[in-house]
Amino acid sequence: MTKKSLCTLFVSALAATFAPTLTAADKDTVKVGVLHSLSGTMAISETSLRDVLMFAFDEINAKGGVLGKKIEPVVVDGASNWPLFAEKAKQLLEVDKVAVTFGCWTSVSRKSVLPVFEKDNGLLFYPVQYEGEEESQNVIYTAEAVNQQAIPAVDYLLADGKKKFYLIGTDYVYPQTTNLVLLEYLLSKGIPIENIGGGLRKDAEGKVISAGKYTPFGHTDYQQIVAEIKQFAASGDACVINTINGDSNVPFFKEFAASGLTAADCPVASLSLSEDEFRSLPTKDLVGHLGCWAYFMSIDSKQNDKFKKDFFAWLETSTVPGIEKANRVTCSPMVLSYDGVYLWKAAVEKAGSFDVDKVRKVLQSGTITFEGPNGLNTVEKNNHTKKNVYIGETKADGQFKIVKEFSQVYPQPWLKGTFGSK
Amino acid sequence: MSTRAFLFTAAISVFLFSTRIFATDDAEKTARQALATAILAPEADQAALVEKLAATPHPALGPTLEGWQREQVFVFTDEDGQRIPFLKVEETSTVRLLRVDNGQPLVNKAGSPISFDPSLKAVETYSKLRRAIKSTTDLLALGDESPSVRQNAVLKLGLKQSPATLPVLEARLENEPDQRVKETIWDSIALVNLNSPNPELKVAALQRLGQSASVPAKDAITRIASDSTQTPETLQAAKVALKSIDKHIFWVDFFGTIFRGVSLGSVLLVVALGLAITFGLMGVINMAHGEIMIVGGYATFVVQCVFGTGLAFAPFGISMNIPGFGFDPASAIYQSYFLVALPIAFLSAAAAGFLLEKSVIQFLYRRPLESLLATWGASLVMQQLFRLTFGPANVPVASPAWITGSFSVEGVLMNYNRVFVIVFAGLIVVGTSLLLSKTPLGLLIRAVMQDRTMAACMGVPTRKVNTLTFAFGSGLAGLAGAFLSQIGNIGPSTGQTYIVDAFMVVVLGGVGNLIGTVISALGIGTLDQILQTTLRNPVIGKVLVLVGIILFLQWKPSGIFSTKSRNLEEGN
Repeated sequence: MTKKSLCTLFVSALAATFAPTLTAADKDTVKVGVLHSLSGTMAISETSLRDVLMFAFDEINAKGGVLGKKIEPVVVDGASNWPLFAEKAKQLLEVDKVAVTFGCWTSVSRKSVLPVFEKDNGLLFYPVQYEGEEESQNVIYTAEAVNQQAIPAVDYLLADGKKKFYLIGTDYVYPQTTNLVLLEYLLSKGIPIENIGGGLRKDAEGKVISAGKYTPFGHTDYQQIVAEIKQFAASGDACVINTINGDSNVPFFKEFAASGLTAADCPVASLSLSEDEFRSLPTKDLVGHLGCWAYFMSIDSKQNDKFKKDFFAWLETSTVPGIEKANRVTCSPMVLSYDGVYLWKAAVEKAGSFDVDKVRKVLQSGTITFEGPNGLNTVEKNNHTKKNVYIGETKADGQFKIVKEFSQVYPQPWLKGTFGSK
Repeated sequence: MSTRAFLFTAAISVFLFSTRIFATDDAEKTARQALATAILAPEADQAALVEKLAATPHPALGPTLEGWQREQVFVFTDEDGQRIPFLKVEETSTVRLLRVDNGQPLVNKAGSPISFDPSLKAVETYSKLRRAIKSTTDLLALGDESPSVRQNAVLKLGLKQSPATLPVLEARLENEPDQRVKETIWDSIALVNLNSPNPELKVAALQRLGQSASVPAKDAITRIASDSTQTPETLQAAKVALKSIDKHIFWVDFFGTIFRGVSLGSVLLVVALGLAITFGLMGVINMAHGEIMIVGGYATFVVQCVFGTGLAFAPFGISMNIPGFGFDPASAIYQSYFLVALPIAFLSAAAAGFLLEKSVIQFLYRRPLESLLATWGASLVMQQLFRLTFGPANVPVASPAWITGSFSVEGVLMNYNRVFVIVFAGLIVVGTSLLLSKTPLGLLIRAVMQDRTMAACMGVPTRKVNTLTFAFGSGLAGLAGAFLSQIGNIGPSTGQTYIVDAFMVVVLGGVGNLIGTVISALGIGTLDQILQTTLRNPVIGKVLVLVGIILFLQWKPSGIFSTKSRNLEEGN
């Protein structure tokens, strides 16, 4: 663990460590940017993505690279500081002149770098579930769009006979936008508005501008909210859609379990909790509750077994400074990062060039696919990827038991206002 | 549904003839073997097989079915390749393996017991299967020994609002000895009757549910009240019932909010009490108070690990390994780790406070601004030390079983850990005030805090008293950290979340006054919860509380209780 924290000190040294080993064959390399927070609050999540990207580069380089050129990663640290993300993006595009960048976790960091990528015509692969309502020509979203995560989760609960939905989340753009889309969706499915819990906020004209209950980052007192959920669920057939981020889930689930609510009576579908987060959560309070992602570590497939085996073997021998080696898991954002690298490789090889415009044209042709650990990924014309979606039940060991698979879901980033409500 | 009707008729027969059927060994044997078959069946058939079990719900199946849900059922393959499902029963010191098909201990051919193979994987469950298991255990629960379990089971049957459940409920009513369960059965029968085509029955059911103020029935009654095809009498009765339920909900919310307010207040009090000593009495603005608290939290984490499987960590890149006792997490001795952790949290935080006082604060007693900056620096150093020792990710501390769960009084839900914090806060407040007012050390502390120079002239070793007082205040902060570990994860920056709250409580209460701290903590907690309930928004409540405090301090700058002093500088 110490080593992981040390990585914050070595960040600046990181690029330097790689540069000397590779500059010898300078002409035979292609520079690729990695833009994640390696320090600050987001480091816990984003460092894992850096790790899996380095693994993918090593894997590709060992097999001869892309178009005969070895990948030379340029790793920069966004430091959980959104304006800094934009500066680092500018550095990657204008100084290092990278062919492609893999990066960003939070929506606010993506929004921050977007103008830079659009101005300098860069290419960014974005791997983390997000709220949609965006489609930049300079971003390939390997992430789950709302219809590839929240909507399937709701479909699953509706099929399970749930009639009352309580929405709760952390107060920022992803939960707020997602819950508004879910509200429209639930209404269109004939769920009456009084069966949607958490509260509604309307503007002066009576239009709903916020649905659900929101708590700030780091909130710890969930007594009142859980008491409300308990009353809400008293008459049965209720469930909770949870978009709480990070450690606030601990007091929430502890309070939830202590109040006598169980996964059998009132399941919680969490959209921001993956295997990686479970490493620091009391999983015994979470058993039976649901998760929904494009990938689970427990997927039983040859590709996934090979990916896990190779990644853990690579971790053992990895020389990336400060890399954490013990108790590692794989999760959806990691695998979607990994898929992104291979999708880009496939596109470059098909285009026969690293030129962003040519690569994008090939990507948008709808023919670029990659059979990854999560199944088949296809880049569609709207810059998002078509992929499988899975629903899993949490087990006591912090893994998911897959209970439902939605095969090859087409990505729809623009959902707001598309459901005609009854 | 015909299967369901069959299920219920079967269930009635069981309950009508009651225990006599249970007594026969044959019934138990058949039921057990059917369950064993279900466990070994392919995943797709399991749910249907379990549903069939509900036709002959034998109480002997209860433990296995519950164990299956908790992933405690495994399959043993014997020498002949025969697959035998068994239930793992963990008791305080032993683990028993019981065959599902006959309830006997699992033995090998020679007849000696088999020990548990940890590489075995539990027979998996999934939600449809779990629901089937649940409806079977629900039926079993109707005949459970504990009245509260029966009460729950009865209510669940009622909420299905299916006429097929009526005979089961009525049969149960005849055999039910407990008055409260009887009441719930009447409620459940009324719930079913809400759908009755007979308007008189319907009105009677509404009156019944109104009288008993049944919260679970609220949705069903609301549906009736908003259905204009109902007769006027029904609508009227529904309105009356809703009014009565809403009144009940109001009072439950009211007392629930007071309870939650007091519990939040107690958390604030525990957090602020240490600061009331170091800042309130001693006048040291200690920005590292939050980090000292977290020392207690990490101490609890370490104790927990030592009671379990041990702890490996690497401060400054040096790998260290603390071996653990390896107690079984379900055992009483493991469960008591928290009691051991409390004194250790106190002592380790007191030691941290001692070091901080000796190294930084003792030079800055007359320079509050410098001490603010220096302790701020110390807090950053400590945070980085935590990061280097325990890693940047927050560490989880599992709550012992005896402070998880809840009980309810007249519908007001009380969590054990919340009751615990209230008692805990009360005890340390009483302890602290006794120490200050009744012991010789307390006398010296008060003397030094009132007038350092004069106390020194009288021969009081002021330096020593300063150090001891600061260490004591820090120790109290450590206890707060131990408690916070029961609410959420402990991380390097967790202390930062609480430092503002702690200062707020002490300043509002009146610096240098223990009673003021108690009142302000409970006041802030209750006000926060009341605003949260009335505004239905956790953020605005907090903002309003803060605004309120600012306004209050404008009016009474020295807090609720100001210490009377003749000191010219303080000038009250």
